Amino acid sequence: MKSNSWRQFKAILRKDIVMELRTKEMVSSMGLYAILTMVVYQIALAEAGESFDVRLVMPGLIWVAFIFMSMLGLNRSFVHEKDQGCIEALLLSPVDRPVIFFAKATGNLIFLLIVEFLSLPIFSFLFMQGRAGYGNPVWLLAVVLFGASVGIAAVGTLLATMTVNTKGKDVMLAVLFVPLMYPLLRAAVGATFAAVIGGPGSVETFWAFMAWVVGYDAIMGLVAYGLYEFVIGV
Amino acid sequence: MAESAQANTAVQVRDLTRAFGVRKALDRVSFDLPGGAFLSIFGPNGAGKTTLVRVLTTLLNPSSGTASVCGSDVVTEAVQLRHRIGLISHNPLLYPDLTAEENLLFFSEMYGLDDPKTRVRELLESVELDHRRLDVVSTFSRGMLQRLSIARALLHRPDVLFLDEPYSGLDPHAMDILDGLIAQIRGDHTFVMISHDLDKGLELCSHALILARGKVVLFEKREEIDVPEFRATYRATVGTGVA
Repeated sequence: MKSNSWRQFKAILRKDIVMELRTKEMVSSMGLYAILTMVVYQIALAEAGESFDVRLVMPGLIWVAFIFMSMLGLNRSFVHEKDQGCIEALLLSPVDRPVIFFAKATGNLIFLLIVEFLSLPIFSFLFMQGRAGYGNPVWLLAVVLFGASVGIAAVGTLLATMTVNTKGKDVMLAVLFVPLMYPLLRAAVGATFAAVIGGPGSVETFWAFMAWVVGYDAIMGLVAYGLYEFVIGV
Repeated sequence: MAESAQANTAVQVRDLTRAFGVRKALDRVSFDLPGGAFLSIFGPNGAGKTTLVRVLTTLLNPSSGTASVCGSDVVTEAVQLRHRIGLISHNPLLYPDLTAEENLLFFSEMYGLDDPKTRVRELLESVELDHRRLDVVSTFSRGMLQRLSIARALLHRPDVLFLDEPYSGLDPHAMDILDGLIAQIRGDHTFVMISHDLDKGLELCSHALILARGKVVLFEKREEIDVPEFRATYRATVGTGVA
């Protein structure tokens, strides 16, 4: 990135963080959604019985919650820009459009990771209580959370930009986002399962799924980078 | 930069057409505006005024034809051009959750200004908002927002300033302040202003343009304008409806 682009990237990211610290719109709505989802999961699994090992479904439950939670936050990420026409002032400035994409996606990634890391202990408390601990080091879980969140933020930022001007943008985002998330979701669930359950060969399985995650991030990141100028307008 | 803008044609438009589907918002619009001029654009709602300004400010690509501002093509040299233009709209284009100072510092970074803090202080003083610099913009009145919007548009010392109905919704005091600011910077910039107020537009302009159905109905220098005839032409175009 050119030095001016780096300045612009930092300025957009700082602006998004300052605004989020003041309004807390994204983090609070995503956090609340995550907590409510966990409560619903607990009710849904209340009759499963002691013999049911909840750890077997926990990776899927976590990622279903995170995918839907992220849609809520990503929808908000462009509303600030749109509300007062600020996006026009941004587009009027001599900033390369991919710089806007990287800055917005980085902001979304930070907010997503904050909520994910805050909600994990609650997940653990509700679903792992009284059961055996993780089979593998906890940092493996951190790796998959980070890796998958990069893909969610990249694709989500692109789609949030596309849908912000559409009628029924919430539905439109979901319709486009969930199918595009399928490969990432599958890999993230697989990697999380290997990290949580452990056992022989689980580390190899983990890294195999992580390669999938990284590949997805790279491909979708490049696609989003290439399309962003077209998507955001001139 | 201001001197070079005045020495040359500031805005050159040739057969500019912008279509939305089958509807032509701009239909083969052509005119030349010299540097240092003040162009007032009049026309009924839907005549294509805002579309014209959006094309000239690189926010919208033309369907055909060409346009250049300060010698830079609006499509192929858009990034260079953005350093030389500013836009004041009826929308403030400011982040409501940031303070006045944070807003201006943010846009200073976007334009890569060398000493943003000094420039921001200078502009906040000139628009008489220095005392509110640490207040979030959502607490500002319409007039204050418009003054801050002017400061934002002037941050990078643009050669050409586009004004899209800048007086819309302002009280008389805020209008006086805006008049004063325009008078202060009049000599250093070329202006292109959209207005529905014939008196105000004619008072300020050196050139006037009437658009109707996306076409140029009239483009004249102020001294060549016969005001009663101009008013009659304007009234006739208002009756022609949208493009």
